[in-house]
Amino acid sequence: MAETAQEKIAAYLQGKLPQAKDLTLTQFTQTAGGWSHEIYTFYAHWREDTQPVTRALCLRKDPGVGLLRNLSDLKEQYRVLRALEPTPVPTPKVYWYEEDPATLGGPFFVMEKVEGEVPNPWSKVGKQYYAEAAKRGQLPRSFVEALAALHNLDWRAAGLDFLGVPGPGTDFALREVGKWESLIQQSLRKPEPVLTEVLMWLKVNAPKTQRLAFVHGAYRTGNLIVKDDAVAAIIDWELQVIGDPMYDVAYVLSDLNREGSPLLSCVVEREFFLDHYQRLTGLTVDLEVCRYYEILYMMRSTAFWLSASGLFAEGKNKDLRLARTTYSVPVVLDMAAKALGF
Amino acid sequence: MLAAHRLLGEIIASLRNVIAPAIPDPYPKAQAYMAAVILEFICQQVEERHDIAREKERTLNGLFNDLSAVLAGTELPESNDPEARLCRLIEWLYAEKERFGPEAFAAANRRVREALRQLLDQELKVAGKSE
Repeated sequence: MAETAQEKIAAYLQGKLPQAKDLTLTQFTQTAGGWSHEIYTFYAHWREDTQPVTRALCLRKDPGVGLLRNLSDLKEQYRVLRALEPTPVPTPKVYWYEEDPATLGGPFFVMEKVEGEVPNPWSKVGKQYYAEAAKRGQLPRSFVEALAALHNLDWRAAGLDFLGVPGPGTDFALREVGKWESLIQQSLRKPEPVLTEVLMWLKVNAPKTQRLAFVHGAYRTGNLIVKDDAVAAIIDWELQVIGDPMYDVAYVLSDLNREGSPLLSCVVEREFFLDHYQRLTGLTVDLEVCRYYEILYMMRSTAFWLSASGLFAEGKNKDLRLARTTYSVPVVLDMAAKALGF
Repeated sequence: MLAAHRLLGEIIASLRNVIAPAIPDPYPKAQAYMAAVILEFICQQVEERHDIAREKERTLNGLFNDLSAVLAGTELPESNDPEARLCRLIEWLYAEKERFGPEAFAAANRRVREALRQLLDQELKVAGKSE
């Protein structure tokens, strides 16, 4: 009878690979990152027709109550990754999705563990890593090219319209505002007047979408696996939508993702990013629209931190990292207030 | 913001039940337990900052008085909780923007934002490490 997570996963894989003999898992690790999901990485070894086989795998599991609460959908992530497999967008290959909670206590999916590294851009070591890569020049180029591949994707042909297609005009921006407002409403423990002002401003000033694209929603270093100074895979598929490509561009431009680094997302010069992105996509970056989305991201960050500290306060999650976010709420609201001129 | 006593209690519990038991080396293990003990004493010393609550109250009262004048005696939305009242007021101002006209709306919104900045500055005394 399988008891540990490792034993349970090995038993599950054996069921999926009936031809595999002597299946074992090694270097089984639950990674520290990921507030929305439990993530396990490991190597699976087995024999097939007397030949030894080894696969590096990653398992992403729904923890029940994650940061995004009911806005996170593991099955949707699996479907997105499956749809992206034959496209030029670099993503991990997915193998199996399991909905039955009997195996691990909640839904999960198993995917390829892409070889490479994901330096944390918030750490000193990570900042140094990206700064050195920026000097060599290949990673900044690859960073822009991977984003352009996303935005140039024929998302209808890829079958991604199941994500929901916004209507014309301001529908996309208002949908996003509404989505994060719903998370705020689930999490809020006391009135937040500054946040109310930001929300109202966002509703009144929503920009029109010029063109719909497949949008990652959190495109930055830290959500990219890097190998040999190139983006080997885009990860953290949790916030993707069909929407305004300026939404991703604004995230790259945002101060939220560089904490003091002069480089966008700690890795790319602003002018190079804008020039190369526009050349690869044929789009014109609308800085006024990007400014709107940057403020939307500040509201979204506030929603994340309110949700995180709310989960802690509600006793649903005892991780002290969530408690710490209670102090991040006024800091992000301060950024939004300054962006709005007060 | 979560209350200081609540957070200290959770940190103490994490030190005792999660961190210390996982440390094999006796010296850092003892340090973790001792940190929990000291935090329990600190918990008795800590008081929430009443000056912040007082400043916020003053800011909100000033705003509600001023807005009545800015909006020429129009009755403002009511609520028992002043911060909840301000949230309703902001939503109401945007909803009635056309009726007030651009100048009155801009004047009211400017006064609201002035108060919001003062409220935020109070919160940042704890969260912003600037004091």
